[in-house]
Amino acid sequence: MKKISSARLSQLFFLTLFLVLFLMTEYRGSDRIVAAVNGFFRANPLTAASTMLAAREYIPLLLPGLLMLVLALFLGRFFCGWICPLGTVLDLVTAKIRKLGPIMALQGNLKYWLLFPLLGASLFQVNLAGLLDPIALLLRALTFFFHPLLGETVRGSWRSLYGMVGDRRDMLDPGYHLLRDYLLPFRETLYPLAFLSALLFFLILFLERYERRTWCRRLCPLGTLLGLVSRFGLLRRVPAKLCSDCQACRELCPTSFDQELLQTEACILCMECTLKCPSQRARFSFRFRKKHRLNQGQMLERRVLLGGLFSGFVIAKTFRFRDPEQQSLLLRPPGVRNEGEFLEKCVRCGECMKVCLRSALYPAFTQAGMEGIYTPILLPRLGYCEYNCTLCGQVCPTGAIPDLAAAVKQREVIGKAVVDKNHCIPFAKRTDCIVCEEHCPIPQKAIRSEIVELLGFDGKVLRVKQPYVVDELCNGCGICENVCPLEGKAGIKVFAVKDRTPLKEPSATAPASDEDPYGGSSG
Amino acid sequence: MNRRRFIKVVGFCSLFMQSWLRELFAAPGSTVAVARGADHAESTRKAIAALGGMQRFVKPGQTVVVKPNIGWDRAPAYAATTNPTVVRTVVEECLKAGAKKVKVFDRTCNDPRRCYASSGIEAALKGMKGVEVKHPEEERYKTVTVNGKALKEFEIYGEALTADAYINVPVAKHHGLSRLTLGMKNVMGILGGNRGAIHKNLDQALADINSVFKSHLTIIDATRILTDHGPQGGDLRDVRVLNQIIASTDIVAADAYATTLFGLKPSDIAVTRTAYQRGLGEMNLDKIRIVKV
Repeated sequence: MKKISSARLSQLFFLTLFLVLFLMTEYRGSDRIVAAVNGFFRANPLTAASTMLAAREYIPLLLPGLLMLVLALFLGRFFCGWICPLGTVLDLVTAKIRKLGPIMALQGNLKYWLLFPLLGASLFQVNLAGLLDPIALLLRALTFFFHPLLGETVRGSWRSLYGMVGDRRDMLDPGYHLLRDYLLPFRETLYPLAFLSALLFFLILFLERYERRTWCRRLCPLGTLLGLVSRFGLLRRVPAKLCSDCQACRELCPTSFDQELLQTEACILCMECTLKCPSQRARFSFRFRKKHRLNQGQMLERRVLLGGLFSGFVIAKTFRFRDPEQQSLLLRPPGVRNEGEFLEKCVRCGECMKVCLRSALYPAFTQAGMEGIYTPILLPRLGYCEYNCTLCGQVCPTGAIPDLAAAVKQREVIGKAVVDKNHCIPFAKRTDCIVCEEHCPIPQKAIRSEIVELLGFDGKVLRVKQPYVVDELCNGCGICENVCPLEGKAGIKVFAVKDRTPLKEPSATAPASDEDPYGGSSG
Repeated sequence: MNRRRFIKVVGFCSLFMQSWLRELFAAPGSTVAVARGADHAESTRKAIAALGGMQRFVKPGQTVVVKPNIGWDRAPAYAATTNPTVVRTVVEECLKAGAKKVKVFDRTCNDPRRCYASSGIEAALKGMKGVEVKHPEEERYKTVTVNGKALKEFEIYGEALTADAYINVPVAKHHGLSRLTLGMKNVMGILGGNRGAIHKNLDQALADINSVFKSHLTIIDATRILTDHGPQGGDLRDVRVLNQIIASTDIVAADAYATTLFGLKPSDIAVTRTAYQRGLGEMNLDKIRIVKV
């Protein structure tokens, strides 16, 4: 068996960790999620930097990301070679793909033209880094495409098996339950942008046709940022050039030896060169004297920096148009009170949508303007915000959705429900319904009904219960719109509101006893 | 009077004297057992025993469905879901009577995972041999022809249809539309399709369903009842502790008795009244044998 290098071992460990955490980012019978994949974003220097720039404040949750940046000063792009799950995926498949040679268009400064506009936009309060962040790209492909696909396939077969063998299928229950409980998404959800998410992922794989790790060395903004820092880094490979008598590194090195001189800022510290050097010359060592730190690759031109930052400004300011019609229905996850602040912090990782208990959250396409692509929006007709659930805030890596206690979250306002008398059954059809009132989770009921005497269409006097909304109590969870038995358009609809001041606390608290006399757990 | 004339007279009478005729043909003697006591397991057992014990309904080797109300994501104290101790005791009694398998499920309104956990029912039944606590699966619903007054056909959960015995274990609580939700309405938990749509004509629809699908035994949990803001509640001030268990083979009679716990008359509840008028059971309390244990 081939000996596995420690870098590869670390890569496999982190990829497994990533996948396990991905699966754990789901309700598993407890109100709190023990560990979620958000850790990868909190330790992600790119999203940390862009979020803090955009929010113009220090965000403690993202400290690991900053530390990672400092670490890059000593260890260079070790993140790319030892941790990044997308890099690992590429390394695992690249051997199977024949190479055509580098694409000229991707050479040079293109990667800076990706990184700087993203950071530049952050300076103007639009946090776009997540769009091209490798971890976010991978996570979105998993969340919106691969995982639902897996769920649909397995569940579909399970269902058709029932069609074939009926109740005898019960014998296979234990096996299926294992799959269902640990591997499959609980609910079959189809996401908008699934295609785009998958496309970007496959595009990155496709680029492996040209060079090894094309994405990592030519495009990835996270890698570029780490590379920039490692420029000033202390860890150097010696010798810095290809040795004239050997040149084996040209083949061994996955990223940095396309020229005579080692491109420090593309080096991912995979250690292949030191492990396989025929004469055992290659090694890494710390260098503190300035002289050795020169000539590490092409210099960054000033116009790239300025041009990049300026494009960031242009991007941040030119996609601000928002269709008012869509704005009236733009509902954000619970606890988000200000749209501007939300856009500063949301890194579009998709975790809130993955974890959403009732599949209420979906990635926006144009609903929040182009600048808001992939940010989460709540679509009540497809799913509602579960009253006692606080998962989205728990998994949000940047705190764009605050992590609130259930009692606090329940008072956060997402929007306000409005009855549409033209559709609502008791008004339009003059028959009883009241399903919305039944489902309203507010203990005092934000939807109430009054008994109204009116004439039926046949001229007879009828008594019908007609619903109305108590604005002071409605938190816009959307369950009313979700359960409205009308097909298509609901008779009640949640609209966005600017003033999202939380609901008042219930005036008198009930005699709360810690002990539950009925032996139940509070879940 | 010849035979033809007799039939004519009786037939004619029945138009005007409906109630008289119904009394004549009503199932003799509906019995409702009412057990009191703060030990809910004990009172559940006593109520079942007063009806002749679980062996009357469950024979050895049978598959039983116990259908509690797990509809909402609320802790048991809020009286929105059936008391887990009561559910567990009913399941234990079924197993003691020799049931091969006891299935417990409900089609929930809130997220099923949260409802099963918060209601305490999943935890109460955890690890019991021969007991299945499952979420309903879409493919198991079967379309059943009802041909009733409100419904032509409806989807009913397959496992409920194929069970040898169906035990209905609702919690007694307030409901915004039907005023109360008791045994008859708890059967909605085995329905598929657009359940919201049947609220348009709830009392007739429930009578339709309950006339096609019979609960062999109805055990109403009134250990605590939800008196307002139902069916979901959420405020402990709306909860009253009564420590009562009501059991009957007559679902209408059980509902009728439970209605009195809220200070209402059985005829105040349209669902009960309609079911009675359609001959599904007895709602006149003075015609029901009430056994207090």
